[in-house]
Parts: sequence; structure tokens; C-alpha cells
Amino acid sequence: MFSMSWTESLYLVFLTTGFAVGFGHCLGMCGPIVVSLSLNMKERPLLVPHLLYNAGRVTTYGILGGIMGLTGSFTAVAARIAGLQKGIMIFSGVVIMAMALAMSGWVRLGSIFADDSLPQGVVSGGFRRLAASKSRFAYYPLGLLLGLLPCGPVYTALIAAARAGMDAGAAASGFFQGLGLMLAFGLGTVPALVLVGRLAGVGWLKSRALIYKASAVLMFGVGVYFVIRGIRY
Amino acid sequence: MDERAMPRRRIRTGLFFIASLLCLMAGESSNDLRAEDGHASEAREGNIHQGPCTRMINGTQVTLEIQPRPVKAMEDLTFTVTFSGMEPAAAPYVDLGMPGMNMGPNRVQLRHTGPGRYEGPGIIVRCPTGSRTWDARVTVPGAGEAAFVFDVMD
Repeated sequence: MFSMSWTESLYLVFLTTGFAVGFGHCLGMCGPIVVSLSLNMKERPLLVPHLLYNAGRVTTYGILGGIMGLTGSFTAVAARIAGLQKGIMIFSGVVIMAMALAMSGWVRLGSIFADDSLPQGVVSGGFRRLAASKSRFAYYPLGLLLGLLPCGPVYTALIAAARAGMDAGAAASGFFQGLGLMLAFGLGTVPALVLVGRLAGVGWLKSRALIYKASAVLMFGVGVYFVIRGIRY
Repeated sequence: MDERAMPRRRIRTGLFFIASLLCLMAGESSNDLRAEDGHASEAREGNIHQGPCTRMINGTQVTLEIQPRPVKAMEDLTFTVTFSGMEPAAAPYVDLGMPGMNMGPNRVQLRHTGPGRYEGPGIIVRCPTGSRTWDARVTVPGAGEAAFVFDVMD
């Protein structure tokens, strides 16, 4: 007969929580980022870049969960990474603004991630390296980085991961407990973000120029919002 | 143009715009709800930053105290729930959430520390949108629940 241990049921709880949070929270908060990624891809295939972006994000959640489980303290770790998160929020806003400018065609920046033309002298060396990679695999490190964005539900899951790590007794088992739980949570959030990313792909439209221009304005606004929120965080 | 491809394109166009609208509406509606609760919190709940706050569950006085004060996000907090005239049959607990925003389950488990008195550790997380209104919901299994709405300090 099938029976579930306490640990297994905890993984299931984290997975379903991630799923519910994904459709209830992530769409509003991280939706603009994945929509920006989709629009930036234009007519190129979307699924693999989005899966890679999400794989990077989930990896970061897992590492954070492992650290929380190892230390058993949410507030101690959160205090240490707060400055980094602030910087990443500002960085993500700048990335979105750069993608908006690249997409609009009003400013000659080229496409940031995989186009033939490289940005010249306006964006930082980091952006140029991303652009130069000409690879969809650039979305994995981007996901790794943006997985550090400050997020309420991720914090809440990390609190539970830290508690589970504290209850685990040994440091190593605490690490793996936290790692596994946050991987489960992160996997739960993937369907919502992949779905939105796919729906936002407009490469199949015949007449795309107007949509790209309108989306560029919206994306730039979202980028400004992220920068302001990052400064005030 | 391929006649059969038209309905499919229309469906995909519709789905894209519906998804965009849902994204925008999700953000807007949660902001509205947070604003309403934020304005009302002072009048309804007293001030959790100055001392314990009291609500009623089935005619029993329930008091919630959060320390240290003022109550700040991303800090280790101690939640104390006191009942006057009633000893709950089962241990109560506190659920922390934001009105109109799913922040994931954040439950403070309380342990019995004296007659009608329960205590437990918890953390209120910071919302990157800048919203500071939180709802601490004290639940007594089988008896009912009481909501304490307040704004955390920066």
C-alpha cells in the first residue's frame, strides 16, 4: 500500500505551494520579466529559452534553500544577501529597459541576447557579453541571477526551509532538506511562468511592428518600475 | 492566405491579450486591496507597535502581542496569544498573510507557556512592491479565528 513519509509530504506541500503561488502571485510580479524575454526573442522559438531561464531560477532557489537549511536561520542569511538583491532588482530593471530599447528600434542597440548586431557604447560590458554569446543558453545564467530577486513567497518558502533544516539535526541533512524543498517549490512555479512566456510570443503574427513598439513602451515602464522599487528596497 | 489558419491565429491573439490583461489586472487589484486595508487598519486594530491588541472569538477575549516593537519585516519576532476566560481545547496558531496578495503559507506555531497563554517564533517577510499591510490571523481549532491587520515598519 502506498504511504507517504513526513518528508515526502513536505516536498509535495512545497511543490503545490509553488504551483498555487505561481498562478496567484508570480504572474503579477514576475510576469513582466518573462513577457519581456518572449518579446525580445521575437520570431525565435520560445520554449527552450524559457525552460533554461526557469531552470536557472529554480537552481538559485535550491542553493538558497540549502544555505537556509544548513544555517537554520532565515534572518541571518536574508540580512547578508539584502544588498545583493537590491542590486539585482535594479539590474533587472535596467535589463528590461535595454531590451525595450533594443526591441523598439528607436535606439540602435541591437537585440540584447541573440541578435547579429551588438550594442555599441551604451550598455555595459555585461550586456555586451550576453549579446555576444548568441546563444539561448544565456538564459540559464540570467535565470540564476534573477532567481535572487526579492520575492515575498520565496522568502516565505525559505523560512520553512530554514525551519526544516533546523529540525533536521545534522548540518548536511539540513542542507539537503532545504535544497530539496526549495527545488520542489521552484518547480511548482515553473508552469505558470512558462505558460505566460509562451502566450506572450508574437512571432507568429503577420504584422508585428506596432505590437513591438507598444510593448517596448510598456516594457520600458516596467523596467523603470523595477529600478525605482530596487532603489527604495 | 490559408483559410483554416485564421481561427487558430485569432485564438492565439485572444489568448495573448487575455494573458496580458490578467497580468495587469492581478497587479492592479492586489494594489487596490492593499490600499483599502492599509487605510482601515489603524481604526480597526489599534496599534500593534505600541502594545497588545485585542479581538473577540465567540465571546472570548483574544489578545495578540508581537515583540520586539515596533514590528518590522525580516526580523525574528515572538508572537504571544492570550485568552481570557477560556483555555482552548487545541493549540492555536497564527497565519501571516497580506490582504489581497498570496505570499505563500506562513504559519506561526504556538506552544503553551502558561494559563491561557501561547507563544511562538515567526517572521514577517518584506514585500518588494513596498506594501506593508499584513494580516495576522489567530485561529483556535474548533472555536474560530480573529484577524489583526496592521502595517509593519520599515
